[in-house]
Amino acid sequence: MLSLWLGAYDQGLAYASLALGTYLTLRVLNFADLTVDGSFALGGGTAAVLITQGVPIPLALLAALVLGGLAGSVTALIHTRLGVNDLFAGILTTTGLYTITLRVMGRSNIPITDITPVVNWPTLGQGDDGRWAVALTCVMVGMVCLLALILATDFGLALRAIGNNPTMARANAINQGLGLTLGIAAANALVAIAGGLVAIYQGFADVTMGIGSLILGLGMVIIGESVLRPRSVPVAMLAAVIGAILFRLMIAIALQLGLEPVDLKLTTAVLLLAAMSLGHIKLPGVNADGQEAASEPDASADSPGAMAGTGGEVEGEPTPGERP
Amino acid sequence: MSLQVDQLSWGHPVPGGSWRQLFRNFDFQSPSGQFTVVIGSNGSGKSTFLNLLAGTLRCSSGSIRLNDKPLQRLSDHRRARRIGRVMQNPLEGTCPGLTIAENLRLAEGRRRSAIGWRGLSGVHPNRADRRRYRELLQDLGLPMADRIDTLVGQLSGGQRQTISLVMATLGQPQMLLLDEHTAALDPKAEANVMALTDRLVRQLGTTTLMVTHSLDQALRFGDRLVMLHEGRLLGDWSARERQHLTPDDLRRMYGSANATTES
Repeated sequence: MLSLWLGAYDQGLAYASLALGTYLTLRVLNFADLTVDGSFALGGGTAAVLITQGVPIPLALLAALVLGGLAGSVTALIHTRLGVNDLFAGILTTTGLYTITLRVMGRSNIPITDITPVVNWPTLGQGDDGRWAVALTCVMVGMVCLLALILATDFGLALRAIGNNPTMARANAINQGLGLTLGIAAANALVAIAGGLVAIYQGFADVTMGIGSLILGLGMVIIGESVLRPRSVPVAMLAAVIGAILFRLMIAIALQLGLEPVDLKLTTAVLLLAAMSLGHIKLPGVNADGQEAASEPDASADSPGAMAGTGGEVEGEPTPGERP
Repeated sequence: MSLQVDQLSWGHPVPGGSWRQLFRNFDFQSPSGQFTVVIGSNGSGKSTFLNLLAGTLRCSSGSIRLNDKPLQRLSDHRRARRIGRVMQNPLEGTCPGLTIAENLRLAEGRRRSAIGWRGLSGVHPNRADRRRYRELLQDLGLPMADRIDTLVGQLSGGQRQTISLVMATLGQPQMLLLDEHTAALDPKAEANVMALTDRLVRQLGTTTLMVTHSLDQALRFGDRLVMLHEGRLLGDWSARERQHLTPDDLRRMYGSANATTES
């Protein structure tokens, strides 16, 4: 039983940077980036090719990161320079990436058999599963800390402004084109690392392994948000990682309960639909934050010296705290 | 910073395939620090003029110079470094998902390049930034001073517009553009925002253009009042000359200008 939990934990952490990349594009930049499907496979394929040629794992993942970043920047440039809609820009890049990934891999499937670990991670008495757990935990803690730090700087603040209100970002002299390009490149670099880690963990890379990655990442982000209800960027990123682990755990439990592997995609879709529906199910008298709904949304507006509220202007706004 | 607009032309296509040339060789000057109020009926070119100055619209010919430096060749974000703007819609001028302090930080950093290495130089807004913003809002007598870490999306329309106005004046703008920034507010909020506008403009001494439909505001605020019609200056009054005007005079001018256009 412990190996089931540990295996799901490991897989969740391998997928976690996919969730972080999706969080960055969809939640921070408000950009529906379908490049994710292509960059996940590109990352997996690149890592597999390099590892089978004897390149150490960190260098193989670094190469995946660079190629993923390039793929993301191509989508961003198509969108910002040529004015192509975000969805179409992502689809165009992903379509091209299929060929590029095949060219990189040389064939559609590459098994990864011999792995030479660079660091001798402790096994915690659980064999390879324990070693993976320690290694991935260290990598993810470092990744979340680094991203949280970047998003807390003026650079991160500017990226959040671009996603939150592009008009305001423009009026405040934020270079939107460059910001989107760097943000989407970083997100796809993260996704490519996830592709590499998943390929190494499962022991093979396949050119089709990226199909459905965007929706998978989104589901992980939503599951995490449903559990942690994040109100700050670091907690939101932690939620994405926890969402990834919980999602893999749900899949592992379903398989343990006798689900046939052939039904896995349908089960995944149902689980994601359930996770996405969670945000729409509201109990009477309770707001999206789980608190009792207040009758007056902004009482302080009527306090002495305060501006009078106009009410109507704030209608239709996202619930505060919903999108950190 | 003085504003010099020479021979500005701009037009747009209209339904039916024809072309409307709104501005044709339009000239406008404003000395440094002047607070100009711009009025005119709908479609007269008031907001278009502000958009042309801000760079959200590009003129087909002519020049726009701020303190003798041409603006029209600058990219949107480079031009925005020099210009503070408050939009008509309170939802447009602020980021609802960011706190008051974060919004103020973005505006304060307008002259820096946040998207770049310099943007990674530290965590912001930090404690010192927050204290500075709290003091700034306290000095302006704004109750939001105690709610610096509140999401702007939780504020009322009037409060958001107030924050938007404070943001526009941060980061040493060389010109301030206010586009009907009180149009969506109730009378009490409008009075508060206008009082703050007057105070901030005087304090800052920045060249300011304020578009409004309120004749009351037009006759009370600013150093100069201009009336636009069909991309032309129909009237231009100094603060002293404006004292002799009444709202009825302005209404009559609106009416006769529209009648001339329709005939």
